[in-house]
Formats: sequence, C-alpha cells, structure tokens
Amino acid sequence: MNRWRRSVGEIQARRRQVSECEQAQSALSKVTACYQQMATCLGSNTDGSSLREELEETRALAHRICTGMHRRLLALLVETEQVQEDREQVERMWVLFLCALENFQQDLRKVSILQETFPLGQRKDRRALVNSGATGGGSEVAGRAATVQTPWVTTEGERRPDLKSHVQEIDRLLQEMLQRVNVPLWSVEPTQNAWAEGCGDTQDEDDTLEEIMEVEVVSQDNRASGCCNHSNCKLGCIFCLLN
Amino acid sequence: MTIKFIRDHGQHYRPRMACLTKVEAMVLQMQDSKSGVKSSEQKLNITSIPHVVAGQDIITWIVNHMKVDAQEARAIGTMLVAYGFIYPLQDHKKLILKPDGSLYRFQTPYFWPVQKWKADDTDYAIYLAKRNIRKKGTLDVYEQEYYKNLHKWLNHKWDFIVMQAKEQYRAGKERNKADRVVFDCQERAYWIVHRPPPRTHSAMDYGVDRLIDPNAEEDKTFDYYRRIIIFTQQAIMRPKVKSTVSLGAILKHMTTYKDHDPFLAPCLPSNPWQTDDSTYWDLNMRNVEIPTKMRVERWSFSFFELLNDPRGRTDFKVFLKKEFSGENLAFWEAAEEMKWGTASSISEKAETIFKTFLAPGAPRWINIDGRTMGLTVKGLEHPHRYVLDAAQTHIFMLMKKDTFYRYLKSPVYKDIQKKALSPAAHNFTPSQLEQNARNRKPGIHPIITWQQEEEERAKAAAAAGPIDIKKLMASKLDRK
Repeated sequence: MNRWRRSVGEIQARRRQVSECEQAQSALSKVTACYQQMATCLGSNTDGSSLREELEETRALAHRICTGMHRRLLALLVETEQVQEDREQVERMWVLFLCALENFQQDLRKVSILQETFPLGQRKDRRALVNSGATGGGSEVAGRAATVQTPWVTTEGERRPDLKSHVQEIDRLLQEMLQRVNVPLWSVEPTQNAWAEGCGDTQDEDDTLEEIMEVEVVSQDNRASGCCNHSNCKLGCIFCLLN
Repeated sequence: MTIKFIRDHGQHYRPRMACLTKVEAMVLQMQDSKSGVKSSEQKLNITSIPHVVAGQDIITWIVNHMKVDAQEARAIGTMLVAYGFIYPLQDHKKLILKPDGSLYRFQTPYFWPVQKWKADDTDYAIYLAKRNIRKKGTLDVYEQEYYKNLHKWLNHKWDFIVMQAKEQYRAGKERNKADRVVFDCQERAYWIVHRPPPRTHSAMDYGVDRLIDPNAEEDKTFDYYRRIIIFTQQAIMRPKVKSTVSLGAILKHMTTYKDHDPFLAPCLPSNPWQTDDSTYWDLNMRNVEIPTKMRVERWSFSFFELLNDPRGRTDFKVFLKKEFSGENLAFWEAAEEMKWGTASSISEKAETIFKTFLAPGAPRWINIDGRTMGLTVKGLEHPHRYVLDAAQTHIFMLMKKDTFYRYLKSPVYKDIQKKALSPAAHNFTPSQLEQNARNRKPGIHPIITWQQEEEERAKAAAAAGPIDIKKLMASKLDRK
C-alpha cells in the first residue's frame, strides 16, 4: 500500500523539476534565437573576431542548458510509469526539446561551414566579406543571450566542446533520445491553435516591411508579364527562351 | 523532431550544383572596394541603409569582368538574382535583373543557397509565424495556404514553432532600426527563392534526389575499372548513325511539330499549368465529339500519330467501315491487346485471333503474304506475347502505305477537318488568375474513363461480330 501512495514531498519535487524544465525550454529557445540572429552576420561586413567570440559564448551557454535539460527530462520520463497527469506535459516537453535540438544543430552546421569559408585570420580576408548593408555587429543580441540563465545551479563540470564535436554530440544525443524513450512524436497535441500567435502583445508601431520600403518604390509601368520585354512572353518565370 | 519517411530507394542526395560555388566566387569578387561594384545608400523614411547597388552597375561590372556582351551579362545577372545571391529591393517577388536604376543588395552568406541542405519546412513555418506575430493578416494567399498545410503536417511541433518565432522576433528587435530592416529584407528574399510565389519558378528546382553523393569521390577499385571497361566496350560496339542523317531527321521533326510544341507555340486556348484553366484538357479528352484543329492536323503527320490518338483511331475506324476493310485494323488492335494483356489470357486470345483472322475461310481474313502467314500459324501453336509481331508489322505497313493516304483524301477526314474547333486564346487578368487558382477541381477519375471505354469496346465488339446471314434474312422476311 505504501508503494502507491506518493508523499507530498515527492509530488512537490516532481512539480518543481517539471517547471524547471519548462523554464529551461524557454531559455533554450531564447538562446538559439539569439544565436541565429548573430549567425546571419557571419561573412558580412559586420563580421569580426568579437562576433565569433560572442557566438562561442552563446553556444557554450546553450550547451549547458541542453545537457542539463537532457538529464532532467530523461529522469522524469524514465522514472515513473504510474503518474499520468503530467505525463502528457512531460512528453510534450520531450518532443519540443528534440525539435529545438535539431533546429540548433542545423544552425551549428551552417555556422561551422561559414566560419571555414570566411576565415578572419589575415588582412586580405576582410576584403572578401560581403557588403550586406548591416551596420551593427549583433552585440546587442549577444547581450540579450547573455542575460539568459539556467534555472538550476551550474555545478556541473564545464566541459565546452568545440563546434564540430558539438554537432556530432547533438547527433548522438538525438539518436540516444529517440531510442531510449518511446514517445510517439505525433501523439503530441499543440497547446495553441493556428493563427493564434497573431493576436498578442505586439506593439502597433511596427509596420510591415512593405510599408517601410514603400517610400523607395518607383512606379513602374504595369506589365502583365514580368519576364522579359517580348510581347508574346506570358511566363512569369525567370528563365525565358524568347529574348 | 522531424518525422522522416524512409520509403525511398536510398535517394538522399541533392544533385551537384557546381554553379553555386562559381557564383559565390564571382559575388565575392564584386565586393572589392576598388575593383568591385560601386554601391550607394538607400534612403528610407526613418533611416538610410548602405550597400545598395543599381542593376545597371551590376551589368556593367559583369561586362567588364567576364568580357561578354550586355545581353549575356543580363542573363548572368538574372541568374545571380534567381539563386538568391543578390535580391531586389523594389518589386521583390520578381527575381530578375533589370538593366536600369532599380536597386539591389547582396545577400548575407547565412542565407546563401547550399547544395547539401534543403530549406527546411520548420524554418519556413517559423518565418510565417514571425510575420504573423509582427502584424496579423499580412500573409499572401499562397503563404496562407502554406501556413495551413504546415500547421497540419508539423502539428506536433507547433508549440516549438510558435515559441521559436516569438523568441526570434524579440531577438531581432534588439538590433538597431536599419539592421532590422536589412535582416527582414534578407529573410524575405531567402524565402522568395526557396518557396516561390505561384506562377514563378524557383531556380533551386532540381527534380529527383540522387542515389550517390555527387560530391564524394568514388574509390578507384577493381570493380570501378571493370565497369568503365565494359561501358567503353559497349559504346564502341553500338551502331552509329551519320550526323547528316540524324540532323536531317531532327530538322524534319522540328519543322513538322514546331507549331504543336507547347513551349514554342502558345497552347490554345491557354496552358492549364500556367493559368489553372482546364479548357485545353477538356477539349482534348480521349472521347470528345469534336476534336480541335491542331489535333486533326497532327493526325496527318504520320500513321503512327493517327493510331495513337484514340479519337483519331475511331475516326479511322469510321472510314474503314465505309470501305468494308475493317479487318486490318481489328487484327492490329487484337494483336496489341495480346501484347499488353495478361499472361493467362494469351492462349485464349491466340485461339480467337486465329479463328477470326488467320484461318483459311475465316470471317475476317487478313491478307498477308504466305511466309508471314506460315510463321505466325506455326508460332500460334505455342503462343507467347510477341507471336503476332511479324504479322502485325506487315499489316501496319499495309495500312500505312495504302489505306492511310486514302483516308487523308477521303470525305470523312475532310469532314472532320471542317468540323474541328479552333478555340480562341484566353486573356486572363491577374485577379482572374487568382480566381482560377482557387477554383481548381479534380478532373474525371481515370477509373470512370476506363469503365466508359470498356462499355464502348463491348458494344463495338457486339456490333462487329460476324453477321449471321440467315438471321438477317429471317428478320427481313419477318417484316414482310
């Protein structure tokens, strides 16, 4: 009889762990979003060694969050089979964590390729950077990323992998996660409906890109076909055989 | 996590896109401050953004750098824009290079097209959700369609998508105003290339995936060399045709079919793939009453065309019925049926064909030469799929050399030429095009067409059976 009755303390501990994981999930989201913003500056005229350092820092932070969350989620999913009430929630978090890891891994791959293509070691490399029109270096975004904290105390060992081994580590992590816990991916229901994110806490002073760029539009004569000047060309596509 | 379906034959690699590395090198050369393309500033309401180039400048640079003429430079420039290395600032949905003062900017390397990876659906969903968060109701019709479908397919990830979109939106807001505009332009340009709007074509379209990684070097083992040797030996042994002969054949084909090619001549009334209007297909169905003029003209090109078109074949049958020489075509069709039919029905089909067409004194005896007849009859003792091939070819040549030309001069053909339709070309406005796209409906199900054809075939078979003279006379006497 005592086996089935869980103490209040246990339930509270579990709830605390679940909320920790939720916080970690949003923290991970934040960090990966900042990482992506900074990665778009790579190879452009705003690229620099400071940007790359900031990328490394953000990546290390993400790595810490990932490893911690992986361990905790695994513990939560593996331990109990009886308690069903938060099983759904934990499964959803599991699937979302997998998605976030995959997304982050894709960004990491891109960053590693870009860093190889645009090395900053020598002076002449700076001339090969693409003039993309940006002026800021992404340091504000890095600042935002740095404000994110892991919801648990980081007493775990600071083992920072480098970029390539990080990618492979995530690979292994994903494989392991898929094999160890049997959560069918399609059984997760989202908590939000489609289009629900549109009505929310957005400030209305944000115009769409089209409205901002309207100033520059020179009125062009309205032609039905935009492909080339040939009158018979009704193709709206780019490559046209008639020229 | 992406749900991966592995129901393929191992084709996981995108084909080689060597042009991308070459274009990248060219774009990097354009960046040089001394010898590259000169850039200016774009002035907007709120701020001004550097590194803007005019289309004309790009073209002049390409002309000087690659030593080509202006038209070719324009084509190369359009290729740069189509792949997404440069994006237009005005009229952003049309990815062409205009040789005037229209403004372009270079795309940041993060958004360059890559051979190895596809543009992910998850990322596109995040992008659309971000646009939605920024201001509700700004998605185009085709983007809304995508959104709906992605919501269905990526339903298990939807929370992640929304969360990530919100975070990316907030992270983007940290940057200064000009950079935010630049980033939005870049992202929008990236997705126009990889998820093109309707009636446009993405330059990254490549067809089927490949089985082998095209960038991986093959190990030169014993097997590899053996394969190469066999390949070259077979290439030497192949029969060759003189180039004058083959070129002459191509020329003849081109001049005959020039007006019938849907790429070279406008498809009347309109190409359904472009305008979403299926009148062209309705007018050219298999069993339509009145065919189009182009179709009728096509029948006169060769006997093969006439037979292959089901409407043409029925017309030919009508002609043959008038001439009472339908047995040739009937034999040809029966032989086709045996060739393409089931293996179990071969022996019974062989029997019926022999009784109807080949036996001496058969009701529909065909007139082939003695040698072929002997071979065929002997082959029919142990029938296989291709036993009637020799006879069928002989009959085909007979019909082609004799009956076909008589058909083309006959009143039947002239009649149908007069009756044939020539539809006028459609001229749709863009709003009508959108409406057409919305009103697309599925065509007639192939099973229904097949059933209709089976019924017609049964009726024709019953009508074409050997006429029993006694019954005919009896019915005539009765009426008296």
